[in-house]
Amino acid sequence: MPPTPAPAAIPPTPAAVRRTRVLLALVALAMAALGAFFVATMNLPTWARILTGLERSAMPLLRGFVNPNWGVFDLASRAMVETVFMAVIGTVIGGLLAFPMAFLAANNLLGSRLLAFPGKTVLVAIRTFPEILFAIIFVAAMGPGPIAGILAMGINSVGFLGKVFSDVVEGIDAGPSEAIRAAGGNGMHVFFFSVVPQVLPEFASYLLYRFEINLRAASVLGLVGAGGIGAPLIQRLQFRRWDEISMIMIVIVVTIIVVDTLSSSVRRRLV
Amino acid sequence: MAVPDPAAGQAIPLRPGLAARLLSWGTWGIIAALFVVSVQQTGFNLEVIGEGIADFFRFFRRLTPDWRALPEIWRPLLETLQIAYLATIFGTLIGLPVIFLASFNTTVNRPIMWVARSILTVLRSIPDLLYAAILAPILAVGPLPGVVALTIFTMAVLAKLTSETVEAVDPGPLEALRAVGAGRNRVIAYAVLPQIGATLTSYVLYIFEINVRASVVIGLVGAGGIGNLLNRYLSFFDYGGLATLIVVIFVVVLAIDQLSVWARSRLI
Repeated sequence: MPPTPAPAAIPPTPAAVRRTRVLLALVALAMAALGAFFVATMNLPTWARILTGLERSAMPLLRGFVNPNWGVFDLASRAMVETVFMAVIGTVIGGLLAFPMAFLAANNLLGSRLLAFPGKTVLVAIRTFPEILFAIIFVAAMGPGPIAGILAMGINSVGFLGKVFSDVVEGIDAGPSEAIRAAGGNGMHVFFFSVVPQVLPEFASYLLYRFEINLRAASVLGLVGAGGIGAPLIQRLQFRRWDEISMIMIVIVVTIIVVDTLSSSVRRRLV
Repeated sequence: MAVPDPAAGQAIPLRPGLAARLLSWGTWGIIAALFVVSVQQTGFNLEVIGEGIADFFRFFRRLTPDWRALPEIWRPLLETLQIAYLATIFGTLIGLPVIFLASFNTTVNRPIMWVARSILTVLRSIPDLLYAAILAPILAVGPLPGVVALTIFTMAVLAKLTSETVEAVDPGPLEALRAVGAGRNRVIAYAVLPQIGATLTSYVLYIFEINVRASVVIGLVGAGGIGNLLNRYLSFFDYGGLATLIVVIFVVVLAIDQLSVWARSRLI
């Protein structure tokens, strides 16, 4: 057995590590200072105001939430089904519009970054707006109702789906396309027999993912008048009917968790 | 593109298996079927879309920015960004310990892990706007319910995203530290955090982007920020103010996004 080496002294911390530590500490300090400054300058209510507010509403809220009112279950589940339908249509519209956008915004298919630039810019612009903002504009333009919500979701989904679809298109294997060209196939052949089959499973996976996001969005679109389960919810929020709100929220949460679980298990197997 | 040579041990790419193809086609089939049912049930059709788009463009033409509205936009805009910033910071601080409770390789024990995960799943399934709508009547209308709502949301999303990263870290350093007798906190501090630092920072930035978008709209339900002003312009049909506001939101969100995307691309 070889002799155990004598324990060496712990080497000093390298200068680079120490510099990083100091830098991190400074960044953290600056962020905390900025946060404290914001808290100090923000228009916050006084503690007394918060406490009286809590006293007045915390108990009724708690009582309502532990005793969901089953009387609104029928209404809530019907509204939730409508919400799911809205999310489905919104997602499919987004997918249909995103499909051509994906190819128009992919560097490799157009053969030049310059040609893909306008497509990419449109997608970034759409993604910049929050979904609810689209919904408000659609409600203001065409009146309240699920159609406004569906169109808002559809437009907003194009931004996301167009981006991820075009990333998928840029990531495809060039082999099959070259093989088809080598065998005398034209651009159409390449597109339909090489590009499309390669991208379809991933497109499906992203559509499902966007559906999960849209379902969450659709549940709150009603808060701004764009249909779905948010509409009965906002009425009850105004009157603070916590027991009914509790029931509606249970319906929303259960539906979203079930859909998420189903959709993510399919997605895991797809890609 | 080189042709694969089986003699040299290079695999010839195979057509995807039957199961994979069935799954792909099955998914498309389900999406199509759901779409058909949804369209039938909601009475949605091309005519409706056409009218909607026409209405939208008619509305859009009235949106000419009126730059005199700018001075009254700055303050609520600043408040919006403050809400997003504070919620991101608080949510991260509260979320950090939860991340490790919810990851199998750093948790205290199984039951605690499952409880943490279940709570996160429920918290995450509630949209941020809904938190704001519920908290606004309780916590007084203003930025406070907004900060609390987005803090809860940040915590839930961050803990979920990051715990996946924590579970995927290289177990070597963890084992080494445990072997020399380090406790759970030391293992997290010296073996896990250095491995996830960059990813964690990038997630925080990503969630900040989401929070900026959310804090723009939570004012609609009384939770502070620029959404209040948006509501006012809408109810007074002040299209000039509305258009200015939309332009300002667009520029600010785009700038923050681009900065954050750039920073994230440098991180990972």
